[in-house]
Amino acid sequence: MMKRKKFWALLLALAMVLSLAACGGNGGNSSGSGDSGSPAAAPEDPKTDGEGSSQADAESDLAYIQGKGTLVVGMTDFAPMDYRDASGNWIGFDADMASAFAESLGVQVEFQEITWDYKVMELNAKSIDCVWNGMTLNDEVKAAMDTGNAYCLNAQVLVVPADKAADFESLTSLEGLNVAVESGSAGEDAAEALGASTTAVAKQADALMEVSAGTADAAVIDLLMAGAMIGEGTNYANLTYTVNLNTAQGLESEEYGVGFRKGSDLADAWNSFWAAAVADGSVLETGTAYGVQESLILE
Amino acid sequence: MLSFFGSTEFLTVLSALNTGFIKTLQLFFVTLVGAVPLGLVISFGSMSRVPPLRWLTKTVVWIVRGTPLVLQIIALYYVPGLKGFPIWSGGESGRFTAVAVAFVINYACYFSEIYRGGIQGVPAGQQEAGLVLGMTKRQIFFKVTLLQMIKRIVPPMSNEIITLVKDTSLARVVALQEVIWMGESFMKGNQGYAGLVWPLFFTAVYYLAFSGVVTILLGNLEKKLEYFR
Repeated sequence: MMKRKKFWALLLALAMVLSLAACGGNGGNSSGSGDSGSPAAAPEDPKTDGEGSSQADAESDLAYIQGKGTLVVGMTDFAPMDYRDASGNWIGFDADMASAFAESLGVQVEFQEITWDYKVMELNAKSIDCVWNGMTLNDEVKAAMDTGNAYCLNAQVLVVPADKAADFESLTSLEGLNVAVESGSAGEDAAEALGASTTAVAKQADALMEVSAGTADAAVIDLLMAGAMIGEGTNYANLTYTVNLNTAQGLESEEYGVGFRKGSDLADAWNSFWAAAVADGSVLETGTAYGVQESLILE
Repeated sequence: MLSFFGSTEFLTVLSALNTGFIKTLQLFFVTLVGAVPLGLVISFGSMSRVPPLRWLTKTVVWIVRGTPLVLQIIALYYVPGLKGFPIWSGGESGRFTAVAVAFVINYACYFSEIYRGGIQGVPAGQQEAGLVLGMTKRQIFFKVTLLQMIKRIVPPMSNEIITLVKDTSLARVVALQEVIWMGESFMKGNQGYAGLVWPLFFTAVYYLAFSGVVTILLGNLEKKLEYFR
């Protein structure tokens, strides 16, 4: 009887160790206790901050994409960069240029809407191949991805109800204001730097709804998006934008870039594609079609 | 007001929401079809006479019931790829498969506990009577216990199934384009419409209508099983 109990106790202990080891391996921050349980997971651990795949080291990312024949572009609905036309196809400055880039690589383009907060995870998990969606090149983005050269300028602007715009015009500080911002966006940093108390929402469009509903005094969003989404002739006709937060902080403009996996050779391929597209005028032509020509970096 | 329901804006939004709701329904039915039988297997595990199997099952049920479903979806979808084994094919179909697996496992664990309650709620005297009559364990389960258990579990199962209708909205965390995702898309801009808030709230109509249908169906089932009293 005693022997039997001991046997089960041992078995249970073993099961616990194994399940703990499995948890550690999956969580990506294993303390090293996992080697006895899952030898396969152990060599992977040091690389989790990189691409997390041993294949990507051996074989180039470009070859991987040409091998599978599709370039999966991770994006969100973000006019005028990526949005759907009336028949449901993806258009926009970024979408059109992404199609041209895929064509230059000899592969099909595939647009995949993602949840913006998970863009780095999507990229590293290989469920997308690049992030190309008016992405501001801030420190976090540069640390987590290899990016191509900046292609477009942007700024953060303060969106306020049109009838109160006069109160905000000569503002140098946002202290005492409740400002809606997109969680993790460049706008959040800018608003906090100017002393606003911020409400982080999931999307820039949600921030606009906050102002429209009166639950926030103002919102901070991208200039390009503000130009396309608010003011007369849009569904936010009662909103307007006033202060350019980059000027207010004495900062330079922000830049947009395309993000690739760390260590990917696609970034170089993108840079040479873009240089050629600038040279033959197709960047300017596409930009003009979507009204972003003033913001383009044509060098 | 009436003319609004004929406007292109309303029709465009409606067709987008319909596309999203079909995804929602697919997820709902796949989860039910997978979780209802899997739950029974898990409930047998947690009632097993082999202690390690029982402990293992109970630990799994504890983990699955004790962590948020939204976290399970994120982990199941991203972790294999991050570890260098991208098992989910890219695009919407891969997302759907991953989310469906997460839902099936999660709901099977909840169902298993409901089944266990239903099975253990059948008086032990009936099993003993079966044994006296010379029936095998298998015969006792299928001919004596099972139908009585089904009758007992219908009300708590209805609860879970109606919760499932609404829980499908969690799938949008990995960008599965179900009905709420579609509703939200018009806030940002979709097919030429931006800044529309009403489509998001309008999705409630879909949930209400569908859970109404489910409630009626399960109510009918309950009535049909009354004769076991």
